[in-house]
Amino acid sequence: MTDIDAVWERTCKVFPILKKTLSETSVGNEDIEHVIRELSALGLCESVYESAFIEFDFILRQQIVPRFWKHFESVPDPDTGFYNFQLAVHELYSDFSRAQEVLRRLTLFRQVCRLKNQEKVAKSEEATFDELFRSVLLSQLAANFNDIVYAFYKVSFRIFANSYDNNDQDEFAEDMIELNCNGCGKETERCRCQELVCAFNTTNKHLYKMHLLDKLAGYTLTNLIQERITAHVEETCKGVFDASHIKNLQKWLDTIVINWLTRIFNRGSSKISEGDGYTHNVIENFRIKLSYFLYETYAKLIIDQFFNIIIDFPDSQLAIDDLKVCLEKIDLRKHLIKTLKQSLEARLLHPGVNTMDILTGYVAAIKAIRHLDPSGVLLETTTEPIKEYLRKRSDTVRCVITGLTEEGPTDLAEELAKSETLKENVDVKGKDEMLNWEVWNPDPIDASPVPRPKRTSRSADIISMVVDIYGSKELFVNEYRNLLADRLLVQLDFNPEKEIRNLELLKLRFGDSLLHSCEVMLKDISDSKRINSHIQSDLNYSNGKAFPISSLILSSQFWPAFNKETLELPDEIQDEFKKYTTSYEAYKGNRTLVWRPVTGRVVLEIELAGRTLEMTVNPTQAAIIHYFQERNEWALEELSGLLKIPPSILRKRISFWQTQGLIKERDTDIYTLIDEMEQSQVDPSQSQEICEEDESESAMASASDQREEELQVFWSYIVGMLTNLDSMPIERIHQMLKMFASHGSGVEFTQEELKNFLQRKVREYKLIYNGGVYHLPK
Amino acid sequence: MAQNINPEHPQSSNLTKQSEETVTIKDNHAVSKRLQKELMVLMMSSEKGISAFPDGENIFKWIGTISGPASTVYTGHTYRLQLEFPNSYPYSAPIVKFLTPCFHPNVDLNGSICLDILKDKWSALYDVRTILLSIQSLLAEPNNESPLNAQASVMWANQAAYKKYLDAFYEKHKDI
Repeated sequence: MTDIDAVWERTCKVFPILKKTLSETSVGNEDIEHVIRELSALGLCESVYESAFIEFDFILRQQIVPRFWKHFESVPDPDTGFYNFQLAVHELYSDFSRAQEVLRRLTLFRQVCRLKNQEKVAKSEEATFDELFRSVLLSQLAANFNDIVYAFYKVSFRIFANSYDNNDQDEFAEDMIELNCNGCGKETERCRCQELVCAFNTTNKHLYKMHLLDKLAGYTLTNLIQERITAHVEETCKGVFDASHIKNLQKWLDTIVINWLTRIFNRGSSKISEGDGYTHNVIENFRIKLSYFLYETYAKLIIDQFFNIIIDFPDSQLAIDDLKVCLEKIDLRKHLIKTLKQSLEARLLHPGVNTMDILTGYVAAIKAIRHLDPSGVLLETTTEPIKEYLRKRSDTVRCVITGLTEEGPTDLAEELAKSETLKENVDVKGKDEMLNWEVWNPDPIDASPVPRPKRTSRSADIISMVVDIYGSKELFVNEYRNLLADRLLVQLDFNPEKEIRNLELLKLRFGDSLLHSCEVMLKDISDSKRINSHIQSDLNYSNGKAFPISSLILSSQFWPAFNKETLELPDEIQDEFKKYTTSYEAYKGNRTLVWRPVTGRVVLEIELAGRTLEMTVNPTQAAIIHYFQERNEWALEELSGLLKIPPSILRKRISFWQTQGLIKERDTDIYTLIDEMEQSQVDPSQSQEICEEDESESAMASASDQREEELQVFWSYIVGMLTNLDSMPIERIHQMLKMFASHGSGVEFTQEELKNFLQRKVREYKLIYNGGVYHLPK
Repeated sequence: MAQNINPEHPQSSNLTKQSEETVTIKDNHAVSKRLQKELMVLMMSSEKGISAFPDGENIFKWIGTISGPASTVYTGHTYRLQLEFPNSYPYSAPIVKFLTPCFHPNVDLNGSICLDILKDKWSALYDVRTILLSIQSLLAEPNNESPLNAQASVMWANQAAYKKYLDAFYEKHKDI
């Protein structure tokens, strides 16, 4: 018995683990071998071997691991957290290294006594222990452990990045007196960066040796680095679109982040030794993972700011190039489309934005997105809402035409000027596509599934894209005609060369036939000048005239409809016009002039109470003041009868003279000339304003007036069909109109429009809607 | 020979027969175009009391509406007619008949009308508008020489009795 006790004593001395302790005992190899021999003599080798591991398990479970986790029980502040972690790891490591010694002896033990169950111990003792160690450790994971690890690595990363930056930057950066060290946040004199780095390196080394680095810190590390990447990307790239960042970011990742990681995994040294395949692999994996993350973050950042990029285009071209690179690596298409649509909607498509601004945005978007995706699929998908919205705005066409013909923010004029060269390119491109069928790619899955009849429209140029908003050239041409007419008649100081050039450019795009009337209009204007000068030189005319007249002679067939304002000129002025007409008739046999007195300009000189006013007014205003020449006081009714102007409009016209301080309304609808000096009270700036307002009034019938006229034509057809065919549903009416009515006028309109029109007629009691059909009231 | 003679007329020579074929072959297009134009004129004229419109998709078949001329026994009545245009229109007259039964010396109970311009006096210069106007005036001034409705032609002499009978007849048969 004593024998066995003595052997047990000795065994325990060699393997203190059997007494539930890891305390070190210094024993030589001979002692171990001696003990082994004794044990094998007793046939106890296996039991002892196995009980050693059981004891390991016990110690780990009861002592080491709880002690380790105890460090993390208190809620850490970042500062103590760092030390806590360091301390805990340090302790753990000392336990671990003591266990290693025991394991060494156990290995020896096994080898000496050649345990029978060889297959069971195929794994080395270290591996068995590691497994045990890790499973026990992780099974008791503390809840806030990740936070602590996170805090720990965050501090270290900051120091590292900071020291790297300092190396990188100019030396004088260090001369700058900073109160706080960037790295550790302490005052510069007490900077403990160095100390911290040391602690950090040791801790990592310990963790690495315990094979715990990946297990304990891997997740947190990834998180931390991703956070750092996000922050870094935001910091460097946000709002800066005119530079390419990809290279810099990649460099930053490769140097700072990867270096730091290498240090962690490679025990403090930033150089990986040749043979260390494991570390190399880990770092390489990290590098791939992180660079994808970097691309994703960067791409998302760009996408989030895409609206600003659009607005800044082409300055922001580099950012788009970057995004292109990113999108090749990471599929963010869906995200891009969604975000872009949202931001466009939020920024452009609401009532607070001018149509002109929306158009500018649209054009910029076309340019920017086309740069990103030349196939046009992306463009098609993302700009559809803009088109839809613009269609609903009534002034879109006008804005487009203004943009086309005048210098503006939309660059449309510039695009128009480019269009000559573009036409040729399109042909070439079409051929190319046929030849290079090998490089053809199918559309991405998010492209509209309907095969577009006009395949070219995706590659169409900006003007076509803009015109495409309405899908009809006629509408644009008509609007252009109206605007042109306005410019020619109201703003007499137009620039003929520019207009002709514009017209030529538009003709290239819309075709000669549509713009024929515009051509005639421009010709009318230049012809008028010639005829005018001829008539002025006609002695018969110029000898008898009381005041000079110059005319614009328009071929009314080709001009858009005028508005229906009327004006009867005073007789003596009428006579002058007659003289002019006679002279014209003499010059151009078989032709005469029909005057349109409302449109024009009169230069007046008014002498009143000792002062002279020289003014340029419109003819109606001139006619009014002309009548006040005869009498000082007029009733509205009387004047309206003479001028053939409805009283409501006349009142508006008289108000011009009221603001000029020449006429006042003495009583309701009785107007008197102010002949004394009392007019000085009138604020001149106010009158200026009103004057300008008048100036800008259009001589043309407005688009809605014209539309109304067209609808009136339809109305007579509708009355016709309902008289004869009793009652009809709206579909039938629409169909009938399309068949029989649209030939003459060439106007297309939708069923929706018809419905609105019919409903209005119903409200006016001109139509009855009953049971899904319309009929006329009896 | 007047150029507006009906080529289908049985007395026409071989030459005109040939031209008739070419007219029909020359497609309905010209005819439908003419009818389109007539429709437009009619719609734009806004003439009170007469109206017509294609019945459905076929432009060769129209429905017309006339109201009785003022200060006649027909005042206040509205009659609906059907106009069918042959392919040779306007070289031959359309077939016109009343859809609303009409008590009138020159209209039979099936609605057929006895009117010279729809028969031998037809000319290509007539159009839908003039046809309808003629029928409207026929209501006021019947041709009692060649009545289709003998009863009406006999009753015509006594306008008061005629009016009474006519109103009762109209009320009984009107559909509009």
